[in-house]
Amino acid sequence: MTDNNTIEYCLNALKDVGADKAQCVLIRNRKYEMNVESGEISLFRTTFDVVLSLVAIKDGKKGSTSINKINEEAIREAVTNVMELAETGERDEAFDISPHQVPKEFIYGDSEPDMDKMHDLLKGFVTKVKEIYPLVNIMESQLTFKHVIKYFANSNGVNFKESRGLYEFGCLFTSIDKEKSSSFNYTGCSMKKLEKELLELGTVRKLLKESIEQLDAIAMEGKFVGDIIITPDCLGDFIDYYIYTFLGDKALISGTSALKDKLNTLVASPKFTLTSNPISKDICEGYFITGDGFEAKNIKLIDKGVLKSFLLSLYGANKTKLKKADNSGGGYIIDAGEKTFEEMVGNIKKGIMVSRFSGGSPSSNGDFSGVAKNSYYIEDGEIKHSISETMITGNLLELMANIKDISMERVDFGSAILPWICMSGVTISGK
Amino acid sequence: MTINNLNTYFDQLSHYTELRVQENKTMQITFLKGNIIQNTKESRSGVSARVYKNGSWGFASSPEMDEDNIKAIIKHAEGNAAFLDFREKKNRSPLQVKKSNVEMDLRTKNQKLSQSQLMDFIKEIDAYISKKYKNLSERMLTLKSLTMEKNLITSGGTSLYSMLPRTNIIISMTMDKNNEPVQLFDIIGGLGEFEDNFSTPMALYEKIDSLYEHLAKKSEGVYATSGLKECVMDADLAGILAHEAIGHTTEADLVLGGSVASNYLNQLVASPIVSLVDFANTYDGQICPIPIYIDDEGTEAQDSVIIENGILKGYMHNRGSARHFGVEPTGNARAFEYFDEPLIRMRNTAILPGKSKLEEMLSSIDDGYYLMKSSNGQADTTSEFMFGVVLGYEIKNGKLGKAIKDTTISGIAFEVLKSTTMISDEMRWSSGGMCGKKQWIPVGMGGPAVKCTVNIGGR
Repeated sequence: MTDNNTIEYCLNALKDVGADKAQCVLIRNRKYEMNVESGEISLFRTTFDVVLSLVAIKDGKKGSTSINKINEEAIREAVTNVMELAETGERDEAFDISPHQVPKEFIYGDSEPDMDKMHDLLKGFVTKVKEIYPLVNIMESQLTFKHVIKYFANSNGVNFKESRGLYEFGCLFTSIDKEKSSSFNYTGCSMKKLEKELLELGTVRKLLKESIEQLDAIAMEGKFVGDIIITPDCLGDFIDYYIYTFLGDKALISGTSALKDKLNTLVASPKFTLTSNPISKDICEGYFITGDGFEAKNIKLIDKGVLKSFLLSLYGANKTKLKKADNSGGGYIIDAGEKTFEEMVGNIKKGIMVSRFSGGSPSSNGDFSGVAKNSYYIEDGEIKHSISETMITGNLLELMANIKDISMERVDFGSAILPWICMSGVTISGK
Repeated sequence: MTINNLNTYFDQLSHYTELRVQENKTMQITFLKGNIIQNTKESRSGVSARVYKNGSWGFASSPEMDEDNIKAIIKHAEGNAAFLDFREKKNRSPLQVKKSNVEMDLRTKNQKLSQSQLMDFIKEIDAYISKKYKNLSERMLTLKSLTMEKNLITSGGTSLYSMLPRTNIIISMTMDKNNEPVQLFDIIGGLGEFEDNFSTPMALYEKIDSLYEHLAKKSEGVYATSGLKECVMDADLAGILAHEAIGHTTEADLVLGGSVASNYLNQLVASPIVSLVDFANTYDGQICPIPIYIDDEGTEAQDSVIIENGILKGYMHNRGSARHFGVEPTGNARAFEYFDEPLIRMRNTAILPGKSKLEEMLSSIDDGYYLMKSSNGQADTTSEFMFGVVLGYEIKNGKLGKAIKDTTISGIAFEVLKSTTMISDEMRWSSGGMCGKKQWIPVGMGGPAVKCTVNIGGR
């Protein structure tokens, strides 16, 4: 069967067994991956997979299943299983599928990798790192080409297809000097084309250089409340924590989100604007179809500190009676600020710059604590030295309200465009 | 899964080759405040081959497991190895292999429950909680199961069939205090299918009641005071300490990558009362949470003694790292999905029990904490570790005091183990953990209670 025939077969099969509403997503996934381990290219891996996900809603009850076979026998078994899940489930009026939209096809990026160029770039990266940063050990690194074809269809006549090809680069590294090791660090970037040397992507060069400085990290002592600068590499994690804790389905359905009644009110510093841009030309790791079958749009989540949108799915919106988001999150862009990075540092009496955060998941109220990794001590407007054994404790809501400065400079990771942000009121504690 | 007789492909394996057919099945039912927000079954199966040629690896996988596809995947993997070998030219000698054969099928021998019966089970527990504990602002119940079924042959003549199931029920409760949510969870279950782990809903009520009592105390809790503190870590945390603080630091790929553990082999790294082992499949005559008999490189799995009486004795290896260090491989190479390559992973990592009683350990602390439950954790090449603590109590003058709010603890692994002064005589395994590296994989973690000094995050 062709892929379109497979989709049609699935939807018809679900309707034949009594589904009131049916949804079918077929994904074909090809990955070509070159791996570095301990500073040398070690593995070339190709994986081809297909995933077929079915959803059935009957009498207000929902079941979902996913298999990776698309022959008729496997589909019939999956249809039987998903109907059994639906029939034994619980009724919920909030279960639904997306309404009819104009069928569309979206295409992004290449459909085939340039494997010779992938090898040359990765080899060049490994060689250059050994030459320029001989103390740095690339623990692991991957350069990957992924091509994904996604079909999304449902019994309301939704019929979308998205084909996306992109390259992803990631590296995990540490520095070693005799018996000293620095804390490991990692960074990465996604891109549509292989146009740059890997060393010039994102913050790769910067973090490799810092890794060597961090061999001489000094353990902090004592405790104080001060400012922190969160770097672009670290900021993505905090944004994800914030969204999960306050803006997503679970937090709002359960009622634990402190922002549940705060739409269109000031929830962060007026300096802060956060958008989610899956279809922006500036974001290559985006998507055109949301997880619940809508054509995606870019949205403002926080505009000059005012909460403009939650990130609710169709189910979450139906459950909470709040507005559904126009996308499924991701592709985050934070507006640039008005201070240079040097000016931001210059404004800090006592604080740290946090490049990586290693901590427990934040509490439902936004409390967090964890270790500030690959980080630096700042005093009297100067970055003094790298630090170790330092913990930070604070609250996500307070962080956002206490933004002092946002940098003009931003880093484009391909998946997000993020600045440096300085926040105050964080407990910083050493040994 | 239709398990193919992979031995028929043995003659196709011209280089060092691992040929694996694997199916992972998962099921998840989640109730949030009585609403079913997840009701899902998933299955992913396929074939993969990994080939070693002169020091370069090639890997290929496909979801199709018919004869023509299996032969094509072997060729594809050989082609990928050749692609890399041509460019890298490492000229390394072949990997040595030994022959082993194991069949281990751990599927349930009990009568299987229907989907409807499983749903009724969870609903009954949910009903018990909602009826008894009306002041909860949120309750969430998740039933999760994972089965990994695999068939492996290698060019060295090894063959493995294994079917490894794991089932957990995760109970999470939240209550509001001063308009702020306070949450606590427990993970129940472990090795085996649902029918091996759970008999009746009523059998879980005692654990649910205990969870609620701790939550109520936590809602009245205080922030921990930050800084270095003497603590008793209960078994749950001792297990994650073993896994995060020491385990990752002594995985040979991290050792080669720069872990400080590379400097300390055969040196005193912990108090002499501390011993730590990554068990392959059996401890004290009992099967471990994740029993591995042959790993995904075809190596017969042995216990890896990491620390013995305070001395760092060894690392965890795959074939390549074992050759580098001049030791025998330990059977630590595992892959999660059929399309994943084997990486060095832990199996059942535990600190061994000592001689003390928990009560005497608690009463020996003037100003510290009793830490009982953890959330996530992370390790580092510097051996600095961290993990989240979601349940703990102050200890004041040898007695338990107020509960503490969520916090994080950290430390330098070997310094923390050197500060260990008491270890309890009981052993408990936690069997719901997943370890993330390049891929996720289920792991077992265990231990007794441990008294040591750690850095606590707080206000």
